[in-house]
Amino acid sequence: MWAEDSETKVLYVQTHGVQDPGRCATPFFLAAAAAAMEFEVMIYFTMYGPSLLRKDVVDKIGPKGDQGQPLRYFIEQASGLGVRLLVCQPSLDLNDLVLEDLIEGVEMIGGAAFNDLAVSADAVISF
Amino acid sequence: MSESAAPVADQVLDCTGLACPLPVVKTAQAIKNLASGQLLELIATDAGVEPDMRAWSGRTGNELVGITKQGDVFHVLIRSK
Repeated sequence: MWAEDSETKVLYVQTHGVQDPGRCATPFFLAAAAAAMEFEVMIYFTMYGPSLLRKDVVDKIGPKGDQGQPLRYFIEQASGLGVRLLVCQPSLDLNDLVLEDLIEGVEMIGGAAFNDLAVSADAVISF
Repeated sequence: MSESAAPVADQVLDCTGLACPLPVVKTAQAIKNLASGQLLELIATDAGVEPDMRAWSGRTGNELVGITKQGDVFHVLIRSK
């Protein structure tokens, strides 16, 4: 899934969800900075992570509650720079979600694809 | 008449008051609109901007011409690759 010509590849893994707003935005900050450095970047949302991508959540939570920007701002900053957002089916099930509940552009992968991305990345960073 | 020692930038990007990662993100976007060899001046107050811009320029191949600090304000001069 990585582009063959990308020099540096970084895979972030987000395991925290809506119950932990203080942990919701940093992976998007770092992914945006990595993309600005011309790295190829993906964020894989597993465990509670997919709940951050819900259409009905992204405008309602932010890392500092009512202060500052909502989560959507940080997601769009990253995706606007080419960061790809990935989920897997078991994690959607865990959060009682289907892909249609999530914002546009989220891609479905599975465990094999995740592991393939991980071993071929230059860095895997897990939150 | 005194001559300025610093080269004049082709574009000034004011990121005063913006926090990480916005200075890096906006610099990356701005540099794409410059021709090779043109100069971008980033003005930023994020305390981490110096190590950030050194890392960014090293990775992207855009040349970091210099960083000066006046009070809490950083002026970063970058030459587009």
